[in-house]
Parts: sequence; structure tokens; C-alpha cells
Amino acid sequence: MSALADKLRGLRRQAGTAAASPSRQAVAPEPSSALAQLHRLRRPSRPGASVLDREVAGRQIAPGLYLHEKHYDWPEHQPWLDAGFARLEPIETARLLYFDTETTGLAGGTGTRAFMIGAGDWCEGRLRLRQLLITTLGAERAMLAEFACWFDAHTALVSYNGKCYDAPLLATRYRLARMDNPLAGRTHVDLLHPVRRHWRKVWPNCRLATAEQRLLNVVREDDLPGSEAPAAWLGYLRGGSAHNLRRVGEHNAQDIVSLAGIAGYMSALPAQPEAAMP
Amino acid sequence: MHARLAPLENGTLPQHTDGSTLAARLGKRYGKRITGVISVPGREGRFAPLPAALPEALAGALRGRGVTQLYSHQAQAWDAVQRGEHVAVVTPTASGKSLCYMLPVLAATMTSRAKALYLFPTKALAQDQVAELIELNRAGELGVKAFTFDGDTPGDARQAIRLHGDVVVSNPDMLHQAILPHHTKWAQFFENLRYIVIDEIHTYRGVFGSHVANVLRRLLRICDFYGVKPQFILCSATIGNPGEHAEALIGQPVTAITESGAPSGEKKVLLWNPPVVNPDLGIRASARSQSNRIARLAIKAGLKTLIFARSRLMVEVLTKYLKDVFDHDPRKPARIRAYRGGYLPTERRAAERAMRAGEVDGIVSTSALELGVDIGSLDVVVLNGYPGSVAGTWQRFGRAGRRQQAALGVLVASSDPLDQYLVRHPEFFEGAPPEHARIHADQALILLDHIRCAAFELPFRAGDRFGEEAAEPWLQVLAEDGVLHPENGRFEWIADSYPANAVSLRAVADGNFVVVDRTGGRQTIIAEVDFSAAPLTLYEGAIHMIQSVPYQVERLDWDGRKAYVTRTHVDYYTDAIDYTKLKVLEHFESAPAGRGDAHQGEVHVVRRVSGYKKIRYYSHENIGYGPVNLPDQELHTTAVWWQLPQRVLEAAFASRHEALDGFLGAAYALHIVATMAVMAEAQDLQKAVGSGDGAWFVSADGNGRGQLRGEGGRMEEVPEAAPFVPTVYLYDAFPGGMGLSDPLYQRRDEILAKAVSLVARCDCASGCPACVGPVLAADEGEATPPRVLAARVLDLLSAA
Repeated sequence: MSALADKLRGLRRQAGTAAASPSRQAVAPEPSSALAQLHRLRRPSRPGASVLDREVAGRQIAPGLYLHEKHYDWPEHQPWLDAGFARLEPIETARLLYFDTETTGLAGGTGTRAFMIGAGDWCEGRLRLRQLLITTLGAERAMLAEFACWFDAHTALVSYNGKCYDAPLLATRYRLARMDNPLAGRTHVDLLHPVRRHWRKVWPNCRLATAEQRLLNVVREDDLPGSEAPAAWLGYLRGGSAHNLRRVGEHNAQDIVSLAGIAGYMSALPAQPEAAMP
Repeated sequence: MHARLAPLENGTLPQHTDGSTLAARLGKRYGKRITGVISVPGREGRFAPLPAALPEALAGALRGRGVTQLYSHQAQAWDAVQRGEHVAVVTPTASGKSLCYMLPVLAATMTSRAKALYLFPTKALAQDQVAELIELNRAGELGVKAFTFDGDTPGDARQAIRLHGDVVVSNPDMLHQAILPHHTKWAQFFENLRYIVIDEIHTYRGVFGSHVANVLRRLLRICDFYGVKPQFILCSATIGNPGEHAEALIGQPVTAITESGAPSGEKKVLLWNPPVVNPDLGIRASARSQSNRIARLAIKAGLKTLIFARSRLMVEVLTKYLKDVFDHDPRKPARIRAYRGGYLPTERRAAERAMRAGEVDGIVSTSALELGVDIGSLDVVVLNGYPGSVAGTWQRFGRAGRRQQAALGVLVASSDPLDQYLVRHPEFFEGAPPEHARIHADQALILLDHIRCAAFELPFRAGDRFGEEAAEPWLQVLAEDGVLHPENGRFEWIADSYPANAVSLRAVADGNFVVVDRTGGRQTIIAEVDFSAAPLTLYEGAIHMIQSVPYQVERLDWDGRKAYVTRTHVDYYTDAIDYTKLKVLEHFESAPAGRGDAHQGEVHVVRRVSGYKKIRYYSHENIGYGPVNLPDQELHTTAVWWQLPQRVLEAAFASRHEALDGFLGAAYALHIVATMAVMAEAQDLQKAVGSGDGAWFVSADGNGRGQLRGEGGRMEEVPEAAPFVPTVYLYDAFPGGMGLSDPLYQRRDEILAKAVSLVARCDCASGCPACVGPVLAADEGEATPPRVLAARVLDLLSAA
């Protein structure tokens, strides 16, 4: 576009950047922005023919913020979670908030954000799933505020690798938005660590998908790999189809359901003496 | 620097030997080798009481360590900091600079839990600083927690440092790659950040300095987010423009404190040229043999001696020679030690302790010792070769000096053109102020890199500035790249990448080549070479020198940005035959220059390396050629150039060929003095000679004579009918320029005068590598020598 852009492109070529690392800034398997622009320009002239699929799950509760809610029947719901497997005292299940985020990448640091937060809690014996999705960057603040409302004084967190990943990432987002972080100082049961302690030597890996398959017999169909989530959201943000973004939502929902299942499974395991834990 | 040129003394030998008597003795025995003697008078200390506002515990700890009063510059620094000013302190070696920042930082930490960030260029200095803080802290039970935070800091310690560190000591790379992109984890630290201390700011110049200035812009953006306006306390070794350089780095006004109150003893400095051993070829004895001899005499006379060598290999060679003399009895403790990079930190610490305790009589070191590592006082410093700058030379000589007795510094010249220039112009030290440190923080590619990193750290709004520049056009470029997403006047990071990892603070953009050593089946990366320098130094067949060790390039993987080399033992070096085409794109400024004119502006450069010459050491004979097949290099950069009108040339030269040879020689000489003037590395500034309209260019062949090239390749001569406006260009070798051309243009009279004197005062007959470039011995006596032709061009360009 600009003369500056042209000049910089020339200088980068001369500095050897362009040839050396063409993929360094590649973001997503997304048509070039020029092409995307073309899409947008052409859409109105072809009404009906191939209107882009822009439908996301849930209802809009603030500009750019969608809330999707779903309830799951849960036959053997227990009032207490025996958290001895995580070296914690038993926790009332009514206090639990299972959570998992979908993010714009794995690079870490202040430049990575969550575009979806999924959370599960117990509501009259059923598992209530709530998902927040932003479709504009400006809606992040509203999402963080809404998520904070799901906490009360006694909320305890359950996650899979959330202590190292999701919780610090959200802490950064709250800090950048200059808001109090509702996760700070909470009891947090990170299922990854006890699962690793039990099955590290038995399973090929301890990913959530492996754990849910081995412990809960969950087999996902048409699951969108987590690594494709950033591209799905970015594609939508840039005016592309919502198809893959809905699959991200389904993936995230299954993660939450599995969290509840694995926590229950671990809770029911016979207590192991400390010494037996490697 | 109060340097004064003194006549050679031939004093009598007194009882006690100090630097001054050794100088006299050397003068007597080797008078012909000494081309200049500089006397630096001693200076009384100037003192001030400890500030009244200093917390009592801190004042007590200082008194406990024998500090009962301050040097005047330390007190000035305290006062300026208390007034809320940013401060830059220029300090000679061993003048107690750390107290300049330690006092305000510790006082603020103790009284208001304020935090401080220290940045040092190396990990070793950072560790020294923390050790000093911990010692003082323990002595006075001050309760101040100081930590280093660098690549070696273990992961589990990092959290504690972020939360509890009062003083965090780190380096610019760590700030750039680890702290700023994770600033939210440092929130408490930033919210209480009061002082930013940056030591050794003279090392932050050129490309590195330009990057650091931008890292500081990012740091200030983060500080702004956390609502703090920290004060800067900067320290520099002696450079020509400390205040200006400090202001360029931090982008804010700075109070410069340049008068040291520390006492210093008298010092003599000798400039030493090795004797001529082959008068026919003008070959001199090696610098090494001379440094070895001087050091031996000094140590035998009971003087603590430090020898600076320019390479690790040379450190080892000189150490061996001295050990052969002084350490032949293995039962006695070693009197000679080596000190260089590449040793383990514990080994280096042990060497430092031994030196401080006076257990060592001779130390041989690389520039690793140049920076503030404390090794106590010495009597004699010998420089085996010119360190590359006047400022660096004085910094090294600063190691020698005791209060009671005179110290001695000896600069032994190598055969390099710069060394020979210096040693033949002893007044250079007297007349020339230390070099200016320059940065070009708004260099387009560097700026783009840091705006990218900054956008990752905090979103930009459309009206935001970054440094002096409006950020929006750059943000648009990044949005086009797909790394930023514009929405409602905000630009937010959207890519799945961590941009700081892709930005090296020591290069423009990241097209660098790595040099891989495959000697004996190894696969070790031993060096990195800038993209723009690669075609000139890494072609297949090239002898690539690393720390003066020759390696031969066996294979160049252009797309993979790798050069595979093996260790070699040849007696020649290689010189690329490149030819350069320049096109002037835009004139910024012009002015008359003698009978011609001088210009600066933007140019488009196309450089092609067509082959290389093998040149034997010392004799500089051309002993062979090799072909090179590499893509053309294009460069859009800034340049300064001089030209003479056709009628002037026709009157002054017998033929066009002679005029061209004169321009080639003039370019060579101008390049030498210009490189010195702007404190640049020789490869950062390039030269070219060609027609003012870009129709043809000329490069030196192996005999120092010009070869013409036009659009269609080799030309025999410039057609008689065509206009003849030869032009000498000096241009920045970085895409977009690094800000070297403007100072060269501003100082063009001085540069020309120095080039005239360089050529006029050279000892050679018709031209040599120290003035107008190598010429073949066979060529001497035939026609007008290149040196005379070059002098004629330079005279015509000098003010009448």
C-alpha cells in the first residue's frame, strides 16, 4: 500500500530477511489479506449464492461477545470430590469450576490471548457448560468481566495443565486490561500432574485426549486438532467462515466434559500410599 | 584527557624503577622505534563529604569499608539524581563509578522500597556488581535484595526475583527477549521501578546501540503502562560525546558529569613501531616480538604488567613466551596468567582475585578485561596492536596507574593500515578527541523490528508515537504482514509468534550467515556474519579470519545462510574482487570542496563479487585468483561523495587513466580516515569510485591500477566523447543506512585534511596498504606512482 511499505519490503529483501525465513510471520493457512479483501468486496454482489457462513454458537451478550450454554445429564454425580490424588483435602463439588481456554497461539508472553473460555460447574445435579467467545478484539474486556462473575468466594478450579498454561495466560490478560484476576489465590486442581504420576509409565503420553480415551472411553469424531484453533478464529476474525470456529467450540466443550469425568475417576481411585508414587 | 606531546627523554637511571624510568630506559635503547611520547600529568583528588541525606545504615556500611568521603563526581551525581535529573557520568577506569549509582539506588530502596533495574553489557560485569552489592548489604545489614537475571538464572528462581528483587541486574538482550515480552509477570517490579542504571553505555553504539535505544523505548512504554517515570543513571568510559550519546539512547535530556574527582598518577605513553627488517619490501618485525620484549623488560624490573592482545590465539602465544621466561619452575606459583573469553567463569574469577591480590606479575588479556572488571592497579600496559579507536586505547591504558608512582603505556603497532597510520601520526592522540559514539535509532529496519516487538507487548492506538516517529505507517505495514489486526483505531498483536526471538540486537534484520567449522569432523558454529558482508568474506575459497585464526570456506549454502569452513595454515589472505555500481537517487546537500564539490544523499548500490585474489602476507604479492559466482547484492542506503569537474582533471592529469588511479588511491585513503573518524568497523563503511552519472565504475586490480567496467562488462577506457566526472563514494553498508554518512559530510573538511596528511606523510615510495592501497613492487618507478596521483586528487578536493 504505502510508499513506506514498499521501501521496507525492499530493505528487508536487501537485508536477506525475505529469502531466509519466508514462514517466520506466517500466521494461518489463510488466503492472503488481498484475497480476503476480494472476498469481502465480492460478497454483496452475489447475494444468496454463496453467502459466507458466519454463524457462531450462542447468543450475543455484549458487542462481539457470545455466550453458549449447554447442560449434560450426569448419572453418578457426587457431592464431594476426594482430591487426595492431588494431595488436597476433599472439596465440595458445588465449588468446582472446570475450565479451559482456546488461544491465539502457544508463543506465550503478552501477545497471546484467549478468544474462548469454556467452563463447567454443577447445577442441580447436571453439568452446566458455559462458553464465552469473542468475535472482535474489543470484546475481550467484556469476556474477562463476564468470566469473573462466574466466581464466588469459594470457587475452586479444575483444569488440565491450567496451572502452567491457562491460568498464567488469563492472569496476563486481566493485568493488561487493568482488572482484578478472579483466578488469583484459588484452590486449583490441575489434573495433568496426578495423571502423569499414575500413568506416565503406562501410556504413550499424558495428553487430555489420551486420558479421556483410556479412562472414560471417549472417542472424538471429527475433532478439530487444538493446533488448528488459532487459525480457525483468525480466519473468522478476518471475515472468513465460522465452520471451523464452531468445531473449536465443540472441541472445547468435550474438554470440559472430560475434565469433570477425569476428576470423578481420579477421586474414586483407591488411595495410594505416598511411597508408591514415583 | 590532558595529554601533551613531550620530547624524548634520556634521563639517567634512578635507583627505583617505575613507569617513567622504564620509559626512559626504553627510549635510550630503542629510540628509533618510539615514534611518539605522550605525558599525562597526574591529578590530585577532589573530595566532598558523604551526603547528609544518606540513610545512616548505608553511611555506616560505607565508613566500615573505609569510604569516609566521596570524590567530587560522585557527589555531583548524587545531587543531580536528587534533583530528579537523568544523569550520565563519564568515568575513567577505577574512579569509583559504581558509587555514583549505588548511593541513590540503595538510599531509595531502603527508605521507600523503590526498585532498580541495572543493565550491563556482559554477564560477568553483572555478577561483579551483584557481588559488590551483596557485600555492602551484608556489611551494613541494609536488607536490600539484589539478583542477577540472565540466561543462566534457573526457572524456579525467576519467580522469586520478579517478586522480591529490589535491584535486578540484567543485560539488554534479556530485557528484550525475556522481560519486556512477559512484563505482566514483572508487574510489581515495574510499578515500583524508580531507577534504571545502564553502565558502559559507550559499548552501545552502531547497530547494537540503535537496537538498545529501541529496547529502551519499549521499556519506557511499559513503564508508562504501569504509571512510573523512572530516572536513568548512565555511565560511560571516555568518549567524545557522552551527554549527546546518553540522550540519544534514552530519548530524554541528560545531565552529563564529565569531571572526575578521582586522583590519578602521572602516566607516560609510548607509540612504538617495530623495526624494519626487510628494507626492500618495507617489512617490519612483528608486533608480537616487540610486545614480548617490552613486557619482559617491565616484569624483570619488578613492574606489574598487562598486555592486551587482539585475539585469543595471540593471548595464548604471548602467555607461552612469557611463561617460558618467568614460569619455568613448576614448583613456584605462576607469575604469568592469561585472561580471555572462552575460559570458565570460575577460572576468570580466580585470575581476577590473584591479580587484585598482587600475586601475578604479568597478565595477557583480550578486550575481555577492557570493561569494568576490577583487577587492581598496574604499572605497565602494553597494547599489542591498535584496539581500533582512540577511546578504546585510552580505556586500556587507564588500567595502568597508581597514586604514588608513574605508570607506562606502550602502543605497539601491527602492520594494519590503521595501526601504521596512528603510529606515524603521534599528534593524533594529542589533537584528536576521543571518538563520538553514534546510534541511528530510527533506522528503518531496526525500527520496524522493535515496533513489531512493542506491539506484542502492548497494543498501539492509531495516534501513538514510538520514539520520535508516528507509529501508524509502520503499524499499517505490520497489519499487511498479518501480525497485527487493526480494529477501531487499535492495532493488536494477532500472530502466533514471539517476535523478540527473531530480532537479534546485534544485526540489522536477521539474514545473517553462520560460519560452521567442520575441521576434523566437527560441526561447530564459530561466527556469525552480516548478510551484507557475506558475499565479500564468505565466498568459496575465501580465507576467513576469526580472531586472527585463518579458516578456509569450503562450501557456501546461500539459501541456508551457512558457510562451512575448515582450519587452514596458508600464508596468504584473500580479498574479494568486487565491483560496485551506484546510482544517486536523491541529493540531500551539496557544497564546494576545493575545485570540485561534495555531496550527501541516498544511493542505490549494486555490488557483484566476480572473483578473489590471494595475497601473501607481508609482501602483499598477488599469488593467484579464484572465481566467485554469487547473486548481485542490492542496497538502498546513504552515501557521501566527492567529484571534480572534467576541465580541472584535464588540466591536472596527463590521461584519464591517471586520474582514475588517483581517485582509487584517494578513495582508499579517505576510507581509512573516515572509518577512524566515525568509530566504525571497516566493513560497515564501503568505498566506490565511478562516474557521476553511473555509466561506469572502476576498481583496483592486483597492481593498484584501475579497471573500468561499464554496462557491458570490462571497458578499456572511458570513451573520449563521453563526459568524464569520476566520483569517490563512501556509503553505509547497511540497507537503509546506519547514519554514518551525515557525520562524514559534516566533517568533510577534517576528513579530507586527514587523508591528505595520511598520503603525504607515508614512508612508502609509491603507495602501500597504509596509505593508497597495495601496489606491486615491479610497478615502482614506472609512470607516475599511485601515491602521487592520489595526493593530487585529494589536494584538488581540499579547500584552496
